[in-house]
Amino acid sequence: MRRSPFASLLWAQRRRSAHALAAVRRESLLKVVIVSVAALGIWVALFVGADLILGLVEDLGAEMLGGASLSLGDLVMARLLSTLTLVLFVLLAFSNVLVIYASLFRASDMRLLVQAPIEPDVLFLGRFVEAVVFSSWATAFLGSPVMLSWGLATEAPPLFYPALLLFYPAFVILPAALAAIAVLLVVRWLAPRRHRARWAIGVGLVAAGALLGTLRGRLRAPDLADPSSLQGVFEALGGSQHPLLPSQWLTRGLLAAARGDTGEAAFHWLLLATSAALATYLAAMTARAMLLPGFSDVAGADAAPKALGGRSILGALDALVGWMPEPTRSMMRKDLRTFWRDPAQWSQFLLFFGILGVYLLGAQQNDTLQRDGAWGAWGSGLHLGATLLILASLTSRFIFPLVSLEGRRFWILGLAPIGRAHIAWQKFALGVLATAPLPIVLAAISARRLELAPAELVLSIFTIAASVLALSGLSVGLGALYPRFDDDSPARIVSGLGGTLNFLLGMLYIFLVLATVIAVLLRSRLDEATEAALGPAMATALDPLLLTGAAATWIFFLTALAVYVPMRLGIRHLQRLEL
Amino acid sequence: MTAVRTAEGRNATKTTPRAMIETVELTKRYGDKLALDRLDLRIDRGELFCFLGPNGAGKTTTIRMLTGLARPTSGTARVGGFDLVTDTIEAKRLLGYVPDTPHLYDKLTGREFLRFVAGLYRLDEGRFEALSTELLEAFEIAAVADRLVEGYSHGMRQKLSFAACFLHEPQVVVVDEPWVGLDPKNIRAVKRDLRRRVDAGLTVLMSTHTLQIAEELADRVGILHRGRLLHTGSVAEIKALAARQGSLEDVFLELTHDALHDPEVGA
Repeated sequence: MRRSPFASLLWAQRRRSAHALAAVRRESLLKVVIVSVAALGIWVALFVGADLILGLVEDLGAEMLGGASLSLGDLVMARLLSTLTLVLFVLLAFSNVLVIYASLFRASDMRLLVQAPIEPDVLFLGRFVEAVVFSSWATAFLGSPVMLSWGLATEAPPLFYPALLLFYPAFVILPAALAAIAVLLVVRWLAPRRHRARWAIGVGLVAAGALLGTLRGRLRAPDLADPSSLQGVFEALGGSQHPLLPSQWLTRGLLAAARGDTGEAAFHWLLLATSAALATYLAAMTARAMLLPGFSDVAGADAAPKALGGRSILGALDALVGWMPEPTRSMMRKDLRTFWRDPAQWSQFLLFFGILGVYLLGAQQNDTLQRDGAWGAWGSGLHLGATLLILASLTSRFIFPLVSLEGRRFWILGLAPIGRAHIAWQKFALGVLATAPLPIVLAAISARRLELAPAELVLSIFTIAASVLALSGLSVGLGALYPRFDDDSPARIVSGLGGTLNFLLGMLYIFLVLATVIAVLLRSRLDEATEAALGPAMATALDPLLLTGAAATWIFFLTALAVYVPMRLGIRHLQRLEL
Repeated sequence: MTAVRTAEGRNATKTTPRAMIETVELTKRYGDKLALDRLDLRIDRGELFCFLGPNGAGKTTTIRMLTGLARPTSGTARVGGFDLVTDTIEAKRLLGYVPDTPHLYDKLTGREFLRFVAGLYRLDEGRFEALSTELLEAFEIAAVADRLVEGYSHGMRQKLSFAACFLHEPQVVVVDEPWVGLDPKNIRAVKRDLRRRVDAGLTVLMSTHTLQIAEELADRVGILHRGRLLHTGSVAEIKALAARQGSLEDVFLELTHDALHDPEVGA
C-alpha cells in the first residue's frame, strides 16, 4: 500500500498515540480507571457549576429588566463569552508557539525527517496537525461542558450543538497557524545571530511590561457602590468585542446559532474557516521557505560554543543552596543551572510573577472600599484567589514537569547511591523554595493594606504557605506518577493526561481552601457589623480566634492530604520504575 | 549453566579472588517474553569479563539489572557482596556505568556535570578537584570542560561519561557497547585505560559487538543467546569449542548460528 508522505506522517503519529495508550492500559488498569473516573467527575462538575452560574446570571438579568426581550443577563453573557473566547485565543496562540517550536525544531525524530525526500511544507503540515490536536484537546475537554450548559441556559435550538462542532476546529487552527508563522520567522531571524536573542528578550520583556501596565488599569476591582461602575465593567469587557477579532467571529457565530439565526452563524463560520485556511496556507508557504534553513540554524547554534552569562546570579543561587547537604545541594544546583540557561523557561516564569505582582498592586487601589464589611472579606478573598490561581498555574507549568525533564538522563540519578524518594523530595523542596517567597510577601503586603485583623492576616499568610506546599506536593507527586521521559518539551509534558489532572486537582484544592477562608472572613465581618448595629448580644457566640483556628486546622488537613497522597503514589511509582 | 571459573594468565598474580559480580538464577520476564533465563555468573575482582551475543540475547537486560536500573523477576544479583534489590545503595556506591548512548545534561558544562556527579556520590571538594582534573586530561576533554554539553560531539559525550564513571573510583564498572562515536585514537586510549585499571584491581563487565576488542581485552568472555548463557571461558577456551579453528568472530557466528537466522531475534 502506497501512502503519501503527509498520510505517512499522520499514520505514524496515530500509531505512536495508539501504542502509548496501549502501554498505559498494560501498565495499570487501576490507573486507567482512576484517571477516567476523575476526568468524568471533573467534566460533570464543570457542567453542573457552569449550569448554576449561567442560570443565576440569566435569572438575575431577567428580574432586573422586568422580563424585557433582551435581558441584562443576555448582555452580560455575550460579553462574558467574548472575553472567554479572546482569552482562549491568546492562550492557544501562546501554547502553540511552544508546542510548534518543540515539535519542529527540538523533536529528536526531526533529524530523520528533514533528511527524507519530503517537501518542507508537507513536513510542516504533518507536525502542524499534531500540534493543533495536542494544544486543543484540553480546551475541548474543559470547554465542552461550559458550552453545553450555555446552550441549555440560553435555551438554544438544536442548531447550536452541531455549530459548536463546526466552529471549534476552525477556531483552534487559526491561532496555531499564526503561532507557526511567528515561530518560523523568529527562529530564522534569531537562531543564526545569537546577539539578537538578547535584544529580542529585552524587547519582549518591555512589551510584556507595557501590556501588564495596561492590564493593571483593567484589573482594578470595580467600585460596585458607584452606579456608573457597571458601565465601567461593560466598557472593560467591551474591549474583547472588536469586530476584527477572530474570537469575536466565534462569539457572534455561536450567539447567532443560539438564537437560531442560521444565516449569521454561517457567515461567521465562513469568516473563521476561510481565515484559518488562509493562515494555514501562509504558514505552510513560510515553512517551505524557512523550515529547513531554520532547522539547520538551530542545530548549528546548539553546536556552537556559547559564552556562559549570569555567573553572578548563578553564584548567588549556588550560595542560596550552599547550606544543604549533599547530594541535595548538587541536584538543586543542577536544576537551577538548567533552568537559568533555558530562556523559554525563565522568561515564562518571570511573566507569571509579573502578572501576580501587577494584579495585586493594581487591585490595591480599590482597597478603601474593600476594607469595609462584607466587601472587605470578598476583596481579601479575591486577592487570595488570584494569588492562588497564579500559584497553581506556576506549579502546573514549572514544577509538574521537573521529574519528566530528567528524561533519558534519569539513568544518572537511577545509578547514583541515593534512594528514588530522595529525588522526589528534592524536586518538592525546589518547588517550594522557588514558588513560596513572592506570593507570601505579596499576600502580607496585600493583607496589611486591607487592614486585616491580626488573626485574618495570619490566616491569609498561612493559607498561601500551605498552598505552596500542597500545590508543590501535588505537582511533584503527580509528575512522578505520570512521568514522560521521552519528551523534552515542558509545554507538551504539561498538556498530557497527568498535567491536566494535576491542574484540575490543584483547582479543586484552591476552591476548598478559598471557600474556607472567605467563609471565615465573611463570618467575622458580619459579626463585627451585627455587634456595631445591634449590640454584643446579637453577635454569634463564636470566638473569631477559634473560628480562624478551626479553618487553619481544616486547611492543614487538606494540605497534608494534597502533599502526602500524591507524593506517596509518585515515589512508589519511581521506586518501581525500570529504565 | 553455572560459570564459576578463575581467571587465567596474568590474573593469577592479582589480589585474592573475590566475587565482585555474582548472579544466581537471575531471571527477567517482560510480560510473556523471557528476556533472561536463570543466569548464573561470577566475575572476580580484577577481571574483565566480556558479554557477547546477538541483538536481543539479553545483554542489556542483564546490565540494567546489575546497575539497579531494572529489578529481577526472580533470582539474585550482587555487586561486591551487596544484593542489588535489598542493599541497593551500598551496591551502587561500588558501581560505575558507561551506557551505549550518553544522554547527559545539555545545559551543564562538562566540568559542572562532573561536579554534579561528585555531589551524588558525596565526594569532598579536594578529592573532586584532583580527580576531575586528572580524568578530564586522561580522556582529552579538558579543553572543552567549560563548554555546555549540548555542543559536544557524540564521542566527547562518551568520553565525559567515562570520566564521570571513574570519578568516584568505583570497584566495579559496567560498560555497554562503549566504542560508538569514539575515533580510533580514543578507542585505543580507552582500551589502555580500562586494562590499566583492571590490572590495578577494577572489575569490568563489558558488553560489545566489536569482537576484535573482546578478543584483545577480555580475561573471559560469555556468550549469551536467547536469554541463556551458553558458554563462558577464556578466549582460547571459547575458540576451542568451535568445530573449526578461526577467529572469535567465526566461533561466535557458529555458536549463535540459529539465532542469527531466527526472524524472532533482532538482526
